[in-house]
Amino acid sequence: MIHALLLAGLLHHSFAMFDTTKPVTLVGTVTAFEWTNPHAYIELDVAGEAGAVKHWTIELGSPSILQQAGWKFKDLKFGDKVTAVVSPLKSGQSGALLSRITMPDGRVLTNGPVGGRQ
Amino acid sequence: MTRAKGIGLRAGVVSAVVLAAVTSLAQTPDLTGVWAPYRGGRGADPKLAPPPATPLVLKPQYAAPFDAKRKAETEAATKGEPIASGAVACVPYGMPRMMQVALYPIEILPTPGQITIVTEAFSEVRRVFMNVPQLPMGDVPPGFYGRSVGKWDGDTLVVDTVGLKTTVPSYQNMPHSDQLRITERLHLITKDILHDTITLDDPVVLEKPMTYTLAYRRMPGYEMVEFVCDNNREFIDEKGGTHLKVRDR
Repeated sequence: MIHALLLAGLLHHSFAMFDTTKPVTLVGTVTAFEWTNPHAYIELDVAGEAGAVKHWTIELGSPSILQQAGWKFKDLKFGDKVTAVVSPLKSGQSGALLSRITMPDGRVLTNGPVGGRQ
Repeated sequence: MTRAKGIGLRAGVVSAVVLAAVTSLAQTPDLTGVWAPYRGGRGADPKLAPPPATPLVLKPQYAAPFDAKRKAETEAATKGEPIASGAVACVPYGMPRMMQVALYPIEILPTPGQITIVTEAFSEVRRVFMNVPQLPMGDVPPGFYGRSVGKWDGDTLVVDTVGLKTTVPSYQNMPHSDQLRITERLHLITKDILHDTITLDDPVVLEKPMTYTLAYRRMPGYEMVEFVCDNNREFIDEKGGTHLKVRDR
């Protein structure tokens, strides 16, 4: 519930597409980082069993909100290795909402200022 | 009266008027700058938090469809296909929702005769024309921001807004008619905490006016960020549900 409230404070619309009760951890390679509105996106290749690669689209907040959480527009680039904890789409498609991410330099960033506290 | 006395008197009157103008300027609080939504949080002074909203009471003919719509929204959200708001399609919020969107700041820019408010979310702009009369409601073309006029009541900026399109979402997405009038009272609680007390009066839809308050904290030195929706990957299906376009690679 706290997680849901946190998200409600960060996004400009409903986040009900995503299942916030079933976090998934994705270890993968960044294929694109789009610092755009109304949302930023990370495109991620995740290696599966027997060498199969599954591609994920990860939605973030907007640049404004991410900046408040310590992000910079050039924080990620093609080829970077990251570990992301995400809330997957309820539809079953390989899309998700970012919860937190461990960056190549070891920093852990979230999808907005923690708890919206100021 | 001698000529010299006349000039002296006139000069006296002019200085009094100038002094009054300067004094009144000096007495109005300076709201210039960027303000972020203030949410209080642990350890915050409860006096700075906005007071609770008064009840939203719709007339019966509006209450029933509104409740049904909210129920449908809850059901759709549970299914993972939330009913889209205009924001999903990157349509700006308009008044009064634009005054606080998630954690996005707003910027208040007073200039002679006008106070301009720019929001970070969707880069919305509203203009408050100072010390001019409001037009009759029916003379303002319905829009997202309507027509706002303002005046200082002591240390409180009072803003009157009419002319809001009925399709523009209002407080908690309540329905509203073209008779909606928004009265805002902007008041500094401390040097750096601002409250905007917003009263919605709609004699067609509401049983009685309702009031809620938004709180902001000053963000010195903050540089407003641009917000142009050029990568909207969310889309609305024919039933109004929201989805995300995912990429295969």
